[in-house]
Amino acid sequence: MAHAAPAIDISRENRRFDDIAPGLAGRVWTLGVGAFVVALLMALIPTFTGKQTDFSAGASAFFRSYVLAFAYACSLGLGALFFTMIQHLTRAGWSVVVRRFAETIAGQLPLLALLGLPLLIPIILGMEGVYEWSSAAAVKNDASGLLQKKAPYLNATFFIGRMVFYFAVWGWLGSFYLNKSVEQDLTGDHELSVKMGGVAGPGVLLYALTVTFFAVDLLMSLTPHWYSTIFGVYYFAGCMVSTHATLIVMMVLLQRSGRLTNVLTQEHYQDVGKFMFAFTVFWAYIGFSQYMLIWYANLPEETYWYAARQSTPYWLVVSLTLLFGHFVLPFLALISKHAKRSPNFIFLGACWMLLMHFVDMHYVVSPDTHGYQQYLLAKDAGKAAAGAGSYMAHGATALLTDIPMTIGMLAVLASAVIRELGRNSLIPERDPRLSESLAFENI
Amino acid sequence: MSIAASPFSKPYDDSHGGSASRSHARATALAGLMVEFDNPDALHDAAKAVRNAGYTKWDVHTPFPVHGLEKSMGIRPTILPSIILIGGLTGCLTGLFLTHYTNGIELLRNAIVPTNLSGYPYPISGKPTFSTPAYIPVVFELTVLFSALTAVFGMLAMNGLPTFWNPLLRQPRFRAVTNDRFFLVVEARDPKFDANSTATMLRGLGGGEPERVEAPVESAEPPRWLISAGILATCFALIPLVVIAKARNAKMREPRIHIVQDMDNQERYKGQMPNPAFADGRAMRPEVDGTVARGDIRDTRADVHFTEGLVDGDWAANFPAKITINADLLERGQNRFNIYCSACHGLDGRGNGPVNARNMDGRPGWETWVQPTSMHDQSVRDRAHGHIFNTITNGIRTMPPYGASLAIEDRWAIVAYVRALQQSSAASLSDVPENIRKELEAR
Repeated sequence: MAHAAPAIDISRENRRFDDIAPGLAGRVWTLGVGAFVVALLMALIPTFTGKQTDFSAGASAFFRSYVLAFAYACSLGLGALFFTMIQHLTRAGWSVVVRRFAETIAGQLPLLALLGLPLLIPIILGMEGVYEWSSAAAVKNDASGLLQKKAPYLNATFFIGRMVFYFAVWGWLGSFYLNKSVEQDLTGDHELSVKMGGVAGPGVLLYALTVTFFAVDLLMSLTPHWYSTIFGVYYFAGCMVSTHATLIVMMVLLQRSGRLTNVLTQEHYQDVGKFMFAFTVFWAYIGFSQYMLIWYANLPEETYWYAARQSTPYWLVVSLTLLFGHFVLPFLALISKHAKRSPNFIFLGACWMLLMHFVDMHYVVSPDTHGYQQYLLAKDAGKAAAGAGSYMAHGATALLTDIPMTIGMLAVLASAVIRELGRNSLIPERDPRLSESLAFENI
Repeated sequence: MSIAASPFSKPYDDSHGGSASRSHARATALAGLMVEFDNPDALHDAAKAVRNAGYTKWDVHTPFPVHGLEKSMGIRPTILPSIILIGGLTGCLTGLFLTHYTNGIELLRNAIVPTNLSGYPYPISGKPTFSTPAYIPVVFELTVLFSALTAVFGMLAMNGLPTFWNPLLRQPRFRAVTNDRFFLVVEARDPKFDANSTATMLRGLGGGEPERVEAPVESAEPPRWLISAGILATCFALIPLVVIAKARNAKMREPRIHIVQDMDNQERYKGQMPNPAFADGRAMRPEVDGTVARGDIRDTRADVHFTEGLVDGDWAANFPAKITINADLLERGQNRFNIYCSACHGLDGRGNGPVNARNMDGRPGWETWVQPTSMHDQSVRDRAHGHIFNTITNGIRTMPPYGASLAIEDRWAIVAYVRALQQSSAASLSDVPENIRKELEAR
């Protein structure tokens, strides 16, 4: 409505990012590389101090953490890509002022593809401690015979081929949306919006399939005997929670540094907050759907995935942290409208959800399920004490590499995002729905 | 604000003047004054003016939602969300009560709940009686259902809907409210309303001349035929209830009417029926060549002590060599006993399980029910281990065989547990270990 549209001087609000924070991208980059080095040292400490004579254990720990950090970083890129596409698909007006953030993160998907390259090492070397199926010996000696039967799907060549395909699709989509949107800043061509909306339909379908298979390949195949058909959706739910949380963090930080102060209003915080809240509930819904069927059927080949995460004190605490920290607490804290309309409060909530997403990835990736199997076998053979040692001790030690690795990966991603934000406008300046977004009101 | 107006349903006294001046047969009274505006900005200003003048019973009507109008009008935020929260919590508690009541109220049955209202604690796949994961879907759905119903009916109630008639609908100019005109109406029941001064105030708002809204003083009675039809319809609607009540309380010789046939009379082949699908025309299929029926394999085993509880053709007095009596075995026996046996024999083995409790209450058709044997009867105590093992395997009298459901080891485990139960009810002081005996004697 004409009377409601605030008179906003966009050129003043929308100062470029690089002029207040020159060199920020470089500093974040240094932080990232430093964190990677710390992670590598942490992984190798047991080897150097003589606790483990085997070098491969340290390498496995390193790459296992790398999988975690990579999955985390990808969840931001993928969530941002979905966010961008769904706004175009629904021709959403409210979200235009925050869409550039999502476009910028999704535009880093080619970089994420590069960051995935180190994962070729454990797969080609066939490191049993990372991807059990990549080791020819492990497949051959698998008593259940399942790994041999799954070999046509779970083998290095096909795995790498699929990854190349996923990142080709996402890399193209991410670059497409970023480039077209930036092009619109210059030309103001409405046809570009139509074009981006046209790609969104098939894009979302392709996205749903690729993300499902990506989650199965990258994360579920860490425990190749186990399967859950809802696993892809579970990962997707985590992607969306962390992406909306990231958007909120970016909104608050930019406003604190004097950017978009009148462009982003309570109304936008409330809407992004609503989606973060909704996907938090969705995550719990999907997580519980996965848990309940496995709990009810009580089949050993399915329950061991959860059993490995409940039978040591450390992992039990992590499980409960997820239940309460990733669902119950944010559900109660964020259900109120007032919580979502307060930038400071929702900022806290968003940081908390980003932390919880790390716990979620830690919970999915880090437990030594293989060690748990060995422990059960030893227990069956009457040697409980012998098998328990390494398994029971595992857990908190994984954090030593998981935390610096995740910081490193996210810092590298953040550095690229900051650099890209510095090049372009912070909002799609000439998007045909921008005025609708500026005047947006929830009530 | 909305098109649905607050109802002018109360009869108006004539003190505000404005007696019926039209050619209507019925007497009318002034129900309010209406002003028309042609844009929302003018409406905003008018609303602020009326609000500042201190009026309380007034409303605005627009062809589309106008943001911020509630602020101009000074409407307080709705309390509906809080009511919905209470509705949701009620649903949550109802779900928790329902699930726990139906599954575990057995614990309370002697205290407060009559037998025919009590739940039934079925042990399902070895799960505990109170299985929280299994209850969550019920609790969740009831929470959502109660919230949704509270939202719908709360919204209707707070808006005073349904309203079947409103005097505004008789105003010819008011029709433009669904097209391109904006209206402000001050009701005559407002305490500050005065036909002359209010009209002067409204005239000053820039919306043109205020228009009088007239409402009939009394409403016409509905036609006789409508009342008769209503009474008849109500009577007919009671017929199904009467039929159901009669069917539930009367005894009949004929079988009951099956409205849904396929639940009671399923389309399936019964014993001795022909089936044209097979070449020999028989529905009952003979054994496939080479099949070994369950139990037939026992003769090939040497250890009949283990498989049948027999030693030299008589019931074995001892446990077979393969069974080691230890705490694990007794725990296993207790676990199996509680799942398979306790439903009839009771957790303490006295023959008073939930099935017995249900059937002993003299329901029609169950008068001949015989209480299951107590494990503590002398006759059972005197039985050899092998005899009890055989009873579990093949059943006795009305007790069905459990050989198909329980592994041989588990059956022996149950025998051991039954012996422990018997011991527990007939223990003497000499059975108590020395160190605890003194403590008992002191009591």
